[in-house]
Amino acid sequence: MFLTDIRKEFYDVVVNQRVALFVSSDVDALCACKILQALFHCDHVQYTLVPVTGWQDLGTAFLEHKEQFRYFVLINCGANVDLLETLQPEEDTIFFICDTHRPVDVVNVYNDTQIKLLIKQDDDLGIPAYDDIFRDEEEDAEDSGNESDSNSEPSGKRTRFDEGAVERRIERQRAKREWEARRREILFDYEQYEYHGTSSAMVIFELSWVMTKDTKDMLWWAIIGLADQWVHDKITHMKYVTDIATLQRHVSRHSHHNEDEENSLSIDCMRICFEYDLRLSLYQHWSLYESICNSCYTTSSFKLWSMHGQKKLQEFLADMGLPLKQVRQKFNSMDISIKENLRDVIEESSNKYGMKDIRIQTFSVHFGFKNKFLAGDVVHAAAALLENVEKEENPSDNFIRALDSLSRSKLDQLHCGIELAKKKLIAIQQTVASCICTNLILSQGPFLYCCLMEGTPDVKLFSKTLALTLLCKYLLKSFVRSTRNKRCKLLPLIMTAPMDVEKGTVIVLGIPPESETSDKKNFFGRAFEKAAESTGSRTLHDNFDTFVIELKTEDRSKFLDALITLLS
Amino acid sequence: MDPSEVEFLAEKEMVTIISNFSLDKMYLIGGDLGPFNPGLPVNVPLWLALNLKQRQKCRIVPPEWMDVEKLEEIREQERKEETFTPIPNPHYMELTKLLLNHASDNIPKADEIRTLVKDIWDTRVAKLRLSADSFISQLEAHAKLDNLTLMEINTTRTFLLDSLNSMYKLRASLQPQPAAKGHHY
Repeated sequence: MFLTDIRKEFYDVVVNQRVALFVSSDVDALCACKILQALFHCDHVQYTLVPVTGWQDLGTAFLEHKEQFRYFVLINCGANVDLLETLQPEEDTIFFICDTHRPVDVVNVYNDTQIKLLIKQDDDLGIPAYDDIFRDEEEDAEDSGNESDSNSEPSGKRTRFDEGAVERRIERQRAKREWEARRREILFDYEQYEYHGTSSAMVIFELSWVMTKDTKDMLWWAIIGLADQWVHDKITHMKYVTDIATLQRHVSRHSHHNEDEENSLSIDCMRICFEYDLRLSLYQHWSLYESICNSCYTTSSFKLWSMHGQKKLQEFLADMGLPLKQVRQKFNSMDISIKENLRDVIEESSNKYGMKDIRIQTFSVHFGFKNKFLAGDVVHAAAALLENVEKEENPSDNFIRALDSLSRSKLDQLHCGIELAKKKLIAIQQTVASCICTNLILSQGPFLYCCLMEGTPDVKLFSKTLALTLLCKYLLKSFVRSTRNKRCKLLPLIMTAPMDVEKGTVIVLGIPPESETSDKKNFFGRAFEKAAESTGSRTLHDNFDTFVIELKTEDRSKFLDALITLLS
Repeated sequence: MDPSEVEFLAEKEMVTIISNFSLDKMYLIGGDLGPFNPGLPVNVPLWLALNLKQRQKCRIVPPEWMDVEKLEEIREQERKEETFTPIPNPHYMELTKLLLNHASDNIPKADEIRTLVKDIWDTRVAKLRLSADSFISQLEAHAKLDNLTLMEINTTRTFLLDSLNSMYKLRASLQPQPAAKGHHY
């Protein structure tokens, strides 16, 4: 069931209890977790934090902890599957789910006792009405009672009653069949497309605001949660802008204290400001040139994988009057005179080159003399740390390091994350360039398909979901710009990359077609399930996002053939 | 004594806070903690104030002496005088550090205050070092150390005592001994 008053029905319930926190491995969940941890610390709530990477992980963790805990809080996992069926908990266990995955499973919605959803009942949920899906069994019992009554009637009247009873039965069965067909249709429509809702970090921040315990740190984490949804392309532009406006109100509320001259705040205090900043990833921690070459928007607009594109970039820089030497330096060492009007200069020039949205609304944070970060920078850093493949560490260590990078006192983790993110972005761009130049993207009819082979450089990076998602999206954007085939521009993309060499599996990911007004709804989850069933391929649907699966390499071709037949 | 021990002792100082929760009067061994009412100021020891601040349950009111003009006056006076001037609080250094680290958003002009307090500290410790130096080298018998705080004494305690001990041993070994028995060592 949906909770209406989060404070009374969630926080006041758990504040005196021991709670188990199961947190999924993405940046939005990390931020929500941080905010919740801060609230728990204030009130001395005992909790156990368990990072989970998939359904199997969630199941094992639940089995380990079910003896000790009655209250479980699940962040960014658990809403889109029948949880009680999967986990088989005891009668008195209560789950609080704060998840962005939609559609929410109908059993989770209509269960009143054990599942509490920390989700706002927006208009876009579209949940089917109760009566359309669940039917009471009593109606059948009544009619069978009538039947037995009518059978005990004296034999003289039997024929008439029998006819009546038989007619009624046939009528009932027909109605039941119709109802079931309609139910299947409604459920199919409801569960066909997957998408994401409001960021969990923002939901938990609202909880802290309602309790007036919100601080600037929590607001910053909520901003990072929203920025994560935008960087990984999980929500539509409209929704992003609306949520930015909501957060902007909170930011103004927190920053009006800074205004007067006499009582100015210490430089160490955190200042959050709204910025209408450039869409260049990590440009303040890199050189401007590198950032332009490795950001999706600019690379796909200039087509930087071709010689022609490189020349256009040089023209662009010359048009702005930026000397190459300056532009290749670290951003912080650029001349002040150039840095001052940089954003406006770039916006003007980029309009001439067809890049109308080079600027995006976002927030930046500023504390101490050296530390200035944009929300997008922190998202890239945390995501890179979460999926770090450089050292052989287990996922929980990566999770803890990524969680640390979000706190202000552990800036060295954040800088480490930024370096990793730079390497990741460079790897992504190189892979995109090579895929387009060698025409690795093939049209299979209803979708585009690209397969990363074993020996590709940096392919280990792409065995992880977030990195592969970014690669897919950048690849599709660039492909749409580079191809002349009008039909191909409207197709979705499926990508496979080697996941585990020993087990011989590949990771398969599908994303919806690229368009300006895309509603980001992904139908590949159901498609993959059906294709796997029909071909008997050995697949593992372990990820919380159902459009990512693991597949045995040998079954790849028959799986793809099944998908082609399914989707055409 | 370790500086962290001195800081621990400094946490007993009372500061004023404005709480945002309510609680009845608490009777602890070290004293009573007055009833807490939201929006009303109450005096509590520093350790409790910092704990409540970190749990976002109060707002700390800066002590009276933690003000830019007052500290500037004190600094000027300290620079003029040869001996140590009286300072507003015997634990000023620890209080400044703790309050500015944890509650700098409640203290106006925190950066200037930090600089001023550091200046005062530097002047006083420099005077202390000079005085210790002349004490040892000129073998004075007593020195006047009014108005020194525990933290400042602590910085020079080990050095002063050890050097005086060594001087004593050196002097003692210079004088002729009546009986050649094993002495202190």
